[in-house]
Amino acid sequence: MSGWRASLAAAAWLAAAGASAEEPPLPAWNEAQRAAGLVDGALLTAAGPEPVASEPLGLAPPTAEESAVSENPAPGIPEKFWMAYFGERPRKFLIDPQGLLSANDTRERLGFLNYHAGDSAIDLFVYVFKGDQEIPGELRAEEMAERFFASGRPAAIVWYFQGAPRRAVLHLSPSLTDAVAATEQRRALESSIMQAMAKDNPSAQLEAFLVQMSIRIYWMEQLWRGGAAAGTPASHDDKPAKKSDKKSQMLAKLQPLLEKARRFVLPAAGAVGALVVAALIVAWLRMRTRYRLPALAVEPRLGGDHAAGAGAVISFASANHSLASQREQRPDNPRRG
Amino acid sequence: MVEADARFGPQGPGLQRLTDTAGILRHEDREQVEAALDRITRRLPQLFAAVYTGALGEAANIRQFGFWLLNRTTFEDVAADQRNDAGILITLDPESKTAGMVCGYQLDAFLEEADTFDCLSRAHAYWLEERYADGFVKALAHLEAVLCKRSRQALRHPQHFQQKVSVPVMPGGHAIHRQPGHLPAAGEITEGQP
Repeated sequence: MSGWRASLAAAAWLAAAGASAEEPPLPAWNEAQRAAGLVDGALLTAAGPEPVASEPLGLAPPTAEESAVSENPAPGIPEKFWMAYFGERPRKFLIDPQGLLSANDTRERLGFLNYHAGDSAIDLFVYVFKGDQEIPGELRAEEMAERFFASGRPAAIVWYFQGAPRRAVLHLSPSLTDAVAATEQRRALESSIMQAMAKDNPSAQLEAFLVQMSIRIYWMEQLWRGGAAAGTPASHDDKPAKKSDKKSQMLAKLQPLLEKARRFVLPAAGAVGALVVAALIVAWLRMRTRYRLPALAVEPRLGGDHAAGAGAVISFASANHSLASQREQRPDNPRRG
Repeated sequence: MVEADARFGPQGPGLQRLTDTAGILRHEDREQVEAALDRITRRLPQLFAAVYTGALGEAANIRQFGFWLLNRTTFEDVAADQRNDAGILITLDPESKTAGMVCGYQLDAFLEEADTFDCLSRAHAYWLEERYADGFVKALAHLEAVLCKRSRQALRHPQHFQQKVSVPVMPGGHAIHRQPGHLPAAGEITEGQP
């Protein structure tokens, strides 16, 4: 709040300084000088034109009523409520520090807004002001939305003036502004105002306004989700808050398991490495293994000193002569005796 | 054997383990096949494998020729103490498009005819395309795998293989040395042991 005051003071100082600065007089010429033409440097040395007396516009002076209005400007929001309104991100969806709504209305409207938040991905925050109250000039709605609603769930922020629905203002959190066009925002606000204007009672007006706004927010949500699914350029805040919440919850649940698994990664890698090394050693040993056959005495056959001719013969003369048909060797084989 | 001697001669030629009489293997092919042969000897030091290619003529029987060659030839690049009983010979005739495999007595209990057929089967597709070296390498690789497996099986169940041969072994597990035409004397035969 002190920041607004400082900026206001700075702006006032600048204005005063600008007004008080002495400016050089502008050059002016009479008719004779114009007719004679200008000589070099005459523009810089010539005196200014003679002042022309302004004629009265013939307007009627302000009436007493008008004078009275200008003397009593619209009341601002008392400073004591500034912090409650604009000091932090609201914890409830209905912000009414001035107590403008009755207890019953507050309960019902808040109940509705809570229900809306449970049903929609876009929260609806409603700031309630008096119908004739003015928002502090230093306050910029966009800056407030940027400061308080840049993180967390996307939100629609409504400044609602009790009994004066036409003055309602709608702002969207930064995560929505890219996805929901200004035209759509204006339509949502106008249709809500129309619904509210159809009622006479300020309480009923607010109720109608909120119901219609909730409906329009549903369409905004569709646009927003469509934009996110189509991969439209969006900041990291455009990610669906609910999905990210679910993801973070799942991650939180899995975290202990991951921690446990992490403990086994090194031993498991070691075991796998050991198995691979063992397999390589076994393969190497098998490559180096020397095999021996027991020496068995065999009775010579067919007069062969070293062999009896046991063994197979194949023909590879033609691919049509299949191996299967050659498996049965011919009966004239010199077999063992 | 008498018939084979009559057909091919009483004395076999001196050969290398890889003898390419048919001239079907290029230099690099020979290296591949020799490496496969060396590998078998390295992993199974008791054994050796050999490859012979040559045109046998129309009247020749490749089975009989392989039988004769393993019995009658001397492999010059095989250790002097290694007899042909421990040899496995693959013969290939590129003219008649036939190939055979024959093994010595030491492998009698460990290599079935079906095993040798499987080894040659691995080479069949390559030999059809006249990729002889590739065929030999595949056949020898399979032979090596089969023999290593048999060796492990023999360690676990020696009786199983013992039963396949009728002649027992000498104490200490050494086979009875046989010269051509030699049969173990009654005094040399003892109870076999695993």
